[in-house]
Amino acid sequence: MSDDIGYWQVGGITLRAEPAREDCFTVVYRDADMHEHDDHSEAARRENLHRHMTNEMVSLEIAAACVHEFPDAPWELRMELARQCWDEARHVKVLHRRLLELGGYKGEFPIGTLEWNVTCALDSLIGRLATQNRTLEAGAMDVVGILARNVRDSGDNETADVLEGILADEVQHVRFANRWIKKLVSEDKRQLMKVASAVRFLIEANSKFQIREGGETNAIGVKLASPEARIPAVNVEDRKLAEFTDDEIHEILRQAGFRTLVPNAVPA
Amino acid sequence: MTILKSVSARADAVGTFRYVSVWLMETTARWTPTTPEMEAKVMFGRHIWDYAQMADALGKRTFELRRHEHFTLAPSAAYTALLKEAGAAHSTADRISALYDGILPGLIARYSDYIAGTDKILDEPTIVIVDRIVRELARQRAEADELKAVLKLAAGPGPHLATREKKVSSMLAEAAA
Repeated sequence: MSDDIGYWQVGGITLRAEPAREDCFTVVYRDADMHEHDDHSEAARRENLHRHMTNEMVSLEIAAACVHEFPDAPWELRMELARQCWDEARHVKVLHRRLLELGGYKGEFPIGTLEWNVTCALDSLIGRLATQNRTLEAGAMDVVGILARNVRDSGDNETADVLEGILADEVQHVRFANRWIKKLVSEDKRQLMKVASAVRFLIEANSKFQIREGGETNAIGVKLASPEARIPAVNVEDRKLAEFTDDEIHEILRQAGFRTLVPNAVPA
Repeated sequence: MTILKSVSARADAVGTFRYVSVWLMETTARWTPTTPEMEAKVMFGRHIWDYAQMADALGKRTFELRRHEHFTLAPSAAYTALLKEAGAAHSTADRISALYDGILPGLIARYSDYIAGTDKILDEPTIVIVDRIVRELARQRAEADELKAVLKLAAGPGPHLATREKKVSSMLAEAAA
């Protein structure tokens, strides 16, 4: 076990090496190597929970690395990151509990760590906030918003409750990143270059691993659509809560083909 | 037990406690991605936030004690050396043992000594903070014991470290002691 996590080269870019994993886990780098199902079977539900559980583990590790690797960051920002560690740790725990209730277990399916590999390759905290919190976690808000609704529609209220609880926490992780990015940029305009550079790096890194144009068949024989067809509907309500501006939301909607997650009607 | 009579002495002690809280936060943060077991990551993740809150409360208290907010003071050389040794633990068993059986018991004792040695009325705001920290550290030790049982971790260097920790007369830096 090493104290230092190094770097690795792939396709001309430098990514952070993997965080430590138990032997029960098989780490893969492409969605095509995951076991994502296209149905509502028991295995599909467990794989979904397993994927979210291990993604939360990665989010915990990224937040923890930010706490450790940026000791000179403003204390209030370090507090936000420390709080995020607690949130992500609770998410791992609650998803593991639900996975066990459904008969699953750690290591049942392949997992990814790409968000860590990309985000923790960046050497600026504002770059990591822009990548992990503002982009990837904001994207997860879209995914979890839809997933919670679909899971509830399928009759699994327990899992839907878990996902909705997690979603509320994720809004705060995106919101504090939006606030701090704005604050840091307002204090030093050069920080904006780091944000732009980080987002470009994310796009470049993602392009090395994403589903190829025209789609692919994954490891269990499920046909996966092209990347542009896999963009989830935008969770406008939560993005507003996370303090994206109207212009930013409009741009995200444009990229998603103006597909939105319509808020649930509030019972009278 | 040293009787803490001056505001300055209390501020130095609280600033030193804050140093240790930040060290605990950063150490468990460093260990989170480099420790393989998911359950250990989860526990460290929970405790990172505990330590951050401890450091925050202590840092606000230093301002009330006529120092700048989040005034932080490095401990004595002997105590710093112990922290460094604990932080260098590699395996999961060694890390859990070094921190929760090696460092925390002594920390609980030193914080309890502070409470016993300060003025119960004048320094009540510090007592409230430190008393809460003592209870949280004890809770963390219980959680670490549960984790050791779940993961069936081997015995580590904690008891040995704790014995040596007791021999360090003061955690306060020489100038502050």
